[in-house]
Amino acid sequence: MNEIKKEEYLLSVKDLEVQYTAGGEVIRAVNGISFDIRKGETLGLVGETGAGKTTVAKSILRILPDPPAKVVGGAVYLEGKNIFKMSEKEVRKIRGKKISMVFQDPMTALNPVYTIGDQIAEVIRVHENIKKKEAYPKAAALLEMVGIPAERYSEYPHQFSGGMKQRVVIAMALACNPEVLLADEPTTALDVTIQAQVLDMIGKLKTEFHTSMIMITHDLGIVAEVCDKVAIVYAGEVVESGTIEDIYDHPSHPYTLGLFSSVPSLTTEETRLRPIPGMPPNPADLPSGCCFHPRCERACEECKENRIPLTELTPGHYVRCLKTGKEV
Amino acid sequence: MENILEVQHLKKYFDTSRGKLHAVDDVTFSVKRGQTIGVVGESGCGKSTLGRTIIHLLESTGGKILFNGEDITKVDGAKLREVRENMQIIFQDPYSSLNPRFTVHDTIREPLALSGRFTKEEIEEQTALLMEKVGLASRLNISYPHELDGGRRQRIGVARALALNPQFVVCDEPVSALDVSIQAQILNLMRDLQEAQQLTYMFITHDLSVVRFISDTICVMYLGQLVETSPAKELFRNPLHPYTKALLSAIPSTDIHNRKQRIILKGEIASPINPKPGCRFAARCSYACEKCFEPQKLEEMSAEHFVSCCRIREIG
Repeated sequence: MNEIKKEEYLLSVKDLEVQYTAGGEVIRAVNGISFDIRKGETLGLVGETGAGKTTVAKSILRILPDPPAKVVGGAVYLEGKNIFKMSEKEVRKIRGKKISMVFQDPMTALNPVYTIGDQIAEVIRVHENIKKKEAYPKAAALLEMVGIPAERYSEYPHQFSGGMKQRVVIAMALACNPEVLLADEPTTALDVTIQAQVLDMIGKLKTEFHTSMIMITHDLGIVAEVCDKVAIVYAGEVVESGTIEDIYDHPSHPYTLGLFSSVPSLTTEETRLRPIPGMPPNPADLPSGCCFHPRCERACEECKENRIPLTELTPGHYVRCLKTGKEV
Repeated sequence: MENILEVQHLKKYFDTSRGKLHAVDDVTFSVKRGQTIGVVGESGCGKSTLGRTIIHLLESTGGKILFNGEDITKVDGAKLREVRENMQIIFQDPYSSLNPRFTVHDTIREPLALSGRFTKEEIEEQTALLMEKVGLASRLNISYPHELDGGRRQRIGVARALALNPQFVVCDEPVSALDVSIQAQILNLMRDLQEAQQLTYMFITHDLSVVRFISDTICVMYLGQLVETSPAKELFRNPLHPYTKALLSAIPSTDIHNRKQRIILKGEIASPINPKPGCRFAARCSYACEKCFEPQKLEEMSAEHFVSCCRIREIG
């Protein structure tokens, strides 16, 4: 496997494959996902429940529970170094320091018996090896940065609203100025005006600190607002990827098109939505060939046979479909 | 078209150790038969409490509820049962709103059996028909909720709510727990059923694109108060209340070429316990003045477009 040059990509995921074993069944959650991120870039990882988005993020940090989860193939390079080949000690230095993660549910991501200030300070103490007293002003400054008055340092998670808890979680993730932030549905549990506050803050991180980000979400609106690149994930595979313009102006994979037409429009009149028929496939029993073929109206015999390779439609815009570009 | 439901100055307060929690405060609106009224607002604005109070899952503190012209604010016993047959609810969470020990068939047949109006054969026939109507294959008859995905579970919720042919259905965030492709299937189903059975929906949601799609009229709530109500399309074209404006501007748009200016609200929702009089939004509103802390009135700005804001004419 060729090592990637340090200058080129900050983080690269190559042919990642992850399986879960449960009750004698093998669940193929991630089936060869690859993507690269440069410094300051934000990648949107878009897909529905069970597509394998969170598994990808957890694999990058090596926090998947093994068993039942097992990385069976691929590699993750951070600044050219393969994270999967590192010792546990080395990885621990990366977690929370170089790469950190914001989890979806702020209600369960915080420890209910510690004050929020101490929870933020803990991250700083562990990575910068300093005393609690020295960590305090830093943690307080982080709280202020995410718009929470520092006087609330000694309060407990239950005294905070959902939006504030999520901002505390983001403050924790940013405590050590990470190079990469993995944001797993960071605003899904929040109200729309609070979501706007959080997205605004994430936007500032991008411009002020050039933090690279992987934004995991199912909301195409959020992707449009914060991401530079997009990868659409279906059944553990990237079915389409490209710049935000590629995906929003020229969506090409039938699944991507289906996602767009499933969301009610905010501007045009429509009396019926055009949902994608059927259900996402069972990852323990994936269809042959293209995983999307049972739900695809363009599917033909050929789609059912072999795994579909990625086709480059225009430079940087990849689609995993035999039919695109032919009739459009 | 006549009004199927009229809600007048409805109030629902909860007693807490720190005082009265004003969950729904002086809400007035009406719904025409066969239409959908959307209720939007953020967590804690009282939209679910409003729905539950209307269908008598909660007892109102004050105000009036008229259903088909009849005052049903205070009913009990047999009359309450009758009212409930006509007013049903679909809950948000298809995971916790179904009995895990009931099969699909058990869940859907229960309201039919409890009504006491049907023979055994009729119950079975109706159950099968309902399953077909909501798109559940008959082989799922003997499945338990844990064996089914969210979309199918929500279809059970819809079938159960429609079992007794209600006229009015409160839909409390029925698609919020579902993936977008499944959400679109359920929304289409609900639309079809509405047309086929002349149903009236009260659709409670925080998802603004969903509410625009499904509603004829939209009510915007903030901390228990109704701040604006308008025909759906008009509301999105011409939002008037400062809160509605902020709310609509906060929706992430998929249009990558025409970025709109987001209005970022400062602060958080205040406590609904013993609130100050006047507009509850005033504390976060950039237009707030002294008058805002006096009680506000709904004012009709254009046809059926009502706003509760004393400064509306000045801020335009």
